[in-house]
Formats: sequence, C-alpha cells, structure tokens
Amino acid sequence: MKSLRVLRIVLWALVLVAGAGAASLFLSARNAPIDAGPAVYATPFTLIDQDGNEVTEADFLGKPSAWFYGFTHCPDVCPTTLSEMSALLEALGPDADRLQAVFVSIDPERDDVFTMKDYVEYFDDRIVGLTGSLENVSAMAKARYIFFEKVPLEGGDYTMEHSASVHLADAGGSFFGTLDGEEPFDTRLQKLRRLIE
Amino acid sequence: MKKLLLVVATLAVMPAAIAHDFDAGSIYIDHPMVEEAPPSARVLGGYVSLHNQGAEDDRLVAIESNAAEKVEMHRSVVTDGIARMTPLTEGIELPAGEMVWLGSDGTHAMFIGPDKRYVAGDEIPATLVFEKAGRIDVTFKVEERATTRAPGHGDHMQ
Repeated sequence: MKSLRVLRIVLWALVLVAGAGAASLFLSARNAPIDAGPAVYATPFTLIDQDGNEVTEADFLGKPSAWFYGFTHCPDVCPTTLSEMSALLEALGPDADRLQAVFVSIDPERDDVFTMKDYVEYFDDRIVGLTGSLENVSAMAKARYIFFEKVPLEGGDYTMEHSASVHLADAGGSFFGTLDGEEPFDTRLQKLRRLIE
Repeated sequence: MKKLLLVVATLAVMPAAIAHDFDAGSIYIDHPMVEEAPPSARVLGGYVSLHNQGAEDDRLVAIESNAAEKVEMHRSVVTDGIARMTPLTEGIELPAGEMVWLGSDGTHAMFIGPDKRYVAGDEIPATLVFEKAGRIDVTFKVEERATTRAPGHGDHMQ
C-alpha cells in the first residue's frame, strides 16, 4: 500500500517536471529573437573600390546590399547580370537608394581599379566595383561561401568559373537570399523589394 | 530638299537595315551581331544565326577577324549555381536543313582583344569558316546591349 503511494507521488512529480520543462521550452522559444543566420557579410575584409579607395565591410553595413562576383573578361553572364542589375535599380525607382549594389572581381589579377571603374560605370554608376589582392578577394569569397576558380585555356589564357547568382545581404550583414539569372525579372524585383522594405 | 535628302538617305540605308544577311550557297547566315561592351572590356560576345539549307551536314569550324587578337567559340553554362565556360573546340554542328543560333544555350563567339573600342553602329569584319561551305566574309554589327534579353542564358525572353 505504502509503495503504491510512493509510486503515485513519484509519477505526479514526473508530470510536474515534464510540464515545467515543456512550459520553459515554449516560453524560451517565444522569447528568442528571430535568428537571421550568422552575419557572414559582416566578416571583415579590405578591398579597393573603383575610385581607388580602400573599403571594408563597415562601408557596406547599415543598408541592404546585392553582391555579384564576376570578372570583366566574361562575354555574357557577367555583363548580362550587371545590365540586369541596372534594370532592377531602374525599376526600384527612388527606392534604389535603399540598396547598395556591388560587383566584386574574382579575377583581380586582370581587373585593376581603372578597369573596374570603367566597367561598372558603363552599366550603372550606382554599382560599386571592388577589386584588390587575390588573397583578400579569396578571403572574402571563402567567408561568404562564394566559389571561384581559375581555369586554364589553350594558348596560356584562362577563364574563371564562379558563383553565378546575385547574393543579397540585409543591413546587418546576414545572408538574405539570392537572385537567379533564370528567374523572371519580376521575381527578382520582388525579392529586392522585400529586402529593402 | 531636306526631306528629299532624308528619303534618299533612308532608301540607301534600308536594304542594309532590313536584310543583314549573307548567302554562302548552302548556308544562309543571318544577322551576325556583337553586343557593345564597356570601354575597358577585353572581350566581346558575338552571335549569329546559321541556316543550313543544303542536303549535307556542315560545321562552323572557326571565326576569324583581323579586328581581334583571336575569336573563339564558347559555351557558358550555369550548373549548380556555378558559371562555367567551355571552348567549343569542335565548332558548331550545322545539321542539314536546320537553323542553328550561335547564341542559344549559352553559346557565343568571343572576340578576344579587339583592336579598338567598338560601339553600337560599328561593324566588325570577320570570316566564318565552314567545313564544307568554305570561307565566307561577313560583318558583325555592333548593337546596344538589350537589358531585357539574356543571350548567354538561352533564347528565352523576359
């Protein structure tokens, strides 16, 4: 008889513990901030912009941004992406001020500051062009999960393989999503609107 | 007088504007064009439509131009989010009776190291070299880049 009573107390105690546990889980989940993922776009870097100024991650935080990683010895994917980026900025109208578009050269050996200035300004002078040492570009790409690789061509030339999408970051430097070249223009425009709203 | 001059000028320009094509016997070459690129660009993308009207298969094996250090044919593809470019060392196959667009599926001619800055309206003389149809001289017209079109991403319109 006594052992049954002990068992009953123990079981009720377990129910209380389980209940308290569930409640605390529920409350902590409710109170936890929304996790926007690690701010990989806040990882430190030092590169040179198209005007020859040294810039760091801090220059691109505080405002949502759209990043494309390509090279100027690229006849179609890169110029197409940049001209579409310009068209997107155009479509955003005055809201384009709330977005920073950036083109990073993943071929800094050939893309010097002059080349970058000329290249980005041809498409849209609102796009910032970044280059720098191969080491610094590589470090940035690695921190942001951006792939690029030099591929030798016949005759000593080379081309670059690289991540093709535009990567979006919020004002705090958290990865927000991508714009894919295969997506309809309006889909990409809506993604940008969501990013800057 | 001004009006007359305009009419004469229009008439003079019209045939070239309407029909920018070249006949290579069995191969009908339509609208070779190059997209204008930024002043510092060392490469220009070229596109052309080829209709093999003959009974035999043919092949575009090379494009030559004195206006560039060299001209290569490539295919750009985006697979698993990575843009890659492979040289079309075998050229472009032109099956008998079929129309092939150098420009579809990421294919393009790459004019490497142009001898000067080419802007919309310029023409770039070149020679298309076919396995069977031989060498045909053409001019690639330089045109403004259309932002709504993506020649490198196939022939879809947006």
